[in-house]
Amino acid sequence: MQTRDDLSGDVPRVYRDASPYEAPRAYPAGRRMAAVLLGWLVPGAGHLILGKLGRGLLFLVLLTGTFVLGLALHGRLFWPTPAETPSALYFDLITVLWFLAQVGSGLCYIISYLFGFGTTPIPEAATFEYGNTFLFLAGLLNYLVIYDAYDIAAGRKR
Amino acid sequence: MHVLMMSLYAAIAATVLAAIEPRHDSLRDRFIHGLKVFGSFLGIGLLLSWILFPIPW
Repeated sequence: MQTRDDLSGDVPRVYRDASPYEAPRAYPAGRRMAAVLLGWLVPGAGHLILGKLGRGLLFLVLLTGTFVLGLALHGRLFWPTPAETPSALYFDLITVLWFLAQVGSGLCYIISYLFGFGTTPIPEAATFEYGNTFLFLAGLLNYLVIYDAYDIAAGRKR
Repeated sequence: MHVLMMSLYAAIAATVLAAIEPRHDSLRDRFIHGLKVFGSFLGIGLLLSWILFPIPW
């Protein structure tokens, strides 16, 4: 049987503490920016600094693995190149788009490019296009993951 | 090889999309959502390949 003290206590606090769901909370602006920046540099790091360890580790392993798989399948890292025919845009548009897709992987792209991994195209390799596709996939999915980290940091979701 | 790569692509994309899905909180709901996304990727991929197969160019 409940005592009188139990019933007359801080009822809202008791119910709030007993709730299985943690209410979303907004993080300070600095933490939000850090989540976005770190999330871009290292896939999943944005979630890790917000305390979402499970999702952060999942994204870290999955997206880094996808990028490495793309390189292992002889995928090529793209960099914007000048257009062969004169156009309004100085750069070849498709290389700009491919670059933007791949650079979403952050440090994976930067380190690989600096060390020369994937910078020499091998189109005769049977898995060349598969490799490119996985490199695009890793970068583009990381943009979604960064956006998710920002949503969590802004208190819009758990 | 192509189906294997398509399945791998679908599995990776479905896992990430299920993990960031905002409408589902429980792991079970996310898992079911991920399976639906995975199935959609594979189904639409196979359907497109079946439609495009007779086209010679």
